Amino acid sequence: MAFGLRWGGTGVFLATEIRVQFHEWLAIVTGTLTPGALLIFVAVLAPQLIAVTLIGSLVYSMFLIGQRVRIDHKLNELYHASPLSPEAYFVGIAGGMLVAYLPPSLFVLAILEILHPLSILAWLVLAACLLAVWAVSSTIGYVVSTLFKDMKTIWPYSALLTNLFGIVPPVFYPIRFVPTEWRSVVLLLPTSGAAVLVNGVAGLETISGNEAILAAAALALESVVMFVFGIYWARRMARER
Amino acid sequence: MPPEALRAVDVRKVYHGRGSPDVEALRGVSLALRRGERIALLGRNGAGKTTFLRIASTLLIPTSGLIEVFGHDVVNAPETVRPLIAVVPQEGKPFFHLTPREQVYCYLRARGLPREEAKARTEASLEKMGLEDVADRLSVTLSGGQKQRAMVATVLATEAPLLFLDEPTIGLDPFARRAVWDVLRDLTRKGCTVLLTTHYLDEAEALSERLYIVEEGAILFEGTAERAKRQIGGTLRVSIENGGNHREQFASFGQSVEEGNALHVITEPERVHEIMDVALREHLSATVGPVTLEEAFLTIVGRSIDAE
Repeated sequence: MAFGLRWGGTGVFLATEIRVQFHEWLAIVTGTLTPGALLIFVAVLAPQLIAVTLIGSLVYSMFLIGQRVRIDHKLNELYHASPLSPEAYFVGIAGGMLVAYLPPSLFVLAILEILHPLSILAWLVLAACLLAVWAVSSTIGYVVSTLFKDMKTIWPYSALLTNLFGIVPPVFYPIRFVPTEWRSVVLLLPTSGAAVLVNGVAGLETISGNEAILAAAALALESVVMFVFGIYWARRMARER
Repeated sequence: MPPEALRAVDVRKVYHGRGSPDVEALRGVSLALRRGERIALLGRNGAGKTTFLRIASTLLIPTSGLIEVFGHDVVNAPETVRPLIAVVPQEGKPFFHLTPREQVYCYLRARGLPREEAKARTEASLEKMGLEDVADRLSVTLSGGQKQRAMVATVLATEAPLLFLDEPTIGLDPFARRAVWDVLRDLTRKGCTVLLTTHYLDEAEALSERLYIVEEGAILFEGTAERAKRQIGGTLRVSIENGGNHREQFASFGQSVEEGNALHVITEPERVHEIMDVALREHLSATVGPVTLEEAFLTIVGRSIDAE
């Protein structure tokens, strides 16, 4: 009951969300593997960047999956007016996305391991970065979707956010292509920060110690702050003013 | 334990618009539901019914006033109230990518019911709502009425002590509506209390023991359907074909309303034969029937609109 949070029912609701996600398995597979299509272009045009692109596609997919959060307001009401706490509801939704994301991502990871084996440290950094991106992205997806009454109106915003966070910054390409004056900015973004950190630890590109610290600190802070905000927002949604 | 399942005292709700004027959705609503009662909240669109239901079900904070559910304040103790209630939201949709069977079962499990009990209640609820044949189809493939039945089945399976149903039978065929009525009657026999909103006045009459009529955020009427009908000046309606040209001759018998070529006169049973005598003299055909709740509703709400 720390901070008045109640987690009873989280596991059961998480199981519900996983069921929902796996009924949409084709959407998950295509959503997660679509960035992998870039691999074909990269393999042809710049084969030396293929490992960077694979890591980028993992980060991008993790961000994308959060943007697939669709909250139906009426389902919100059904669950909020029940013993299931809003925080359990939010974590269940976000967790369902994470679990659904794993199987197709394992496929991408297997290709990465074949083409560019990672050290244990790089694996740990990759896992931590993906979890941080998940925390940020699922909160953004949840909060954005609660702002609209009709789920269809969310789609353009999801696409906009995905492009802003996943395509424009150096997620699929190395940070060395970014002008020096912009490097600090892109390191502050959760997606490009995560990709650059993993690439750096995996030896795929060179970043300074200060840049690594900046990216790691920003990502850690963003993930914690955003996840706490997601819980706060869920509680707020259960008690509108 | 208090005798009331729900007690609302002077509940007000003002929505503060951004750049638009404030809207006073509830203007001092007071009402009470005794345990085991079925109560209908009637009103025009935008009258404040859903706002009241959302406040009572802990989803919305009132601007002022008090609402207690089984003696617990919904504003200060929502965590205590929530296990005691369940809500069918207006135009609610089930999870599109769950089957009705999964939807009901998962919801019961999320509310803390043990597996076996959740399974048994799921099957019983699907059967009562006539959803056995589509129980394993994804909701996205169901018709609108089937989706609505899945939502109702989900909530009624909880057997929560206090059920809020916001237009639960909208879009349902007459058979499905009656199935919902039967389940609600059954649940109140078991001790559940039901507060529902509906625009089907036959449903309100068939189902509710008392009803409240809400208009512009205030309660205009509280009582039984019979009492509502008596409020409009009679219990019978005499409909006179082509009676519009003879309105003055019938004016003394009671309130009269023209509808197309017909003139409807609301009156008491003892005056019916006098009206029939006049109609016969004028060679007009007339039929007699009971006043409906719809007529009472229109009159009560209409009076309020006229008064404004």
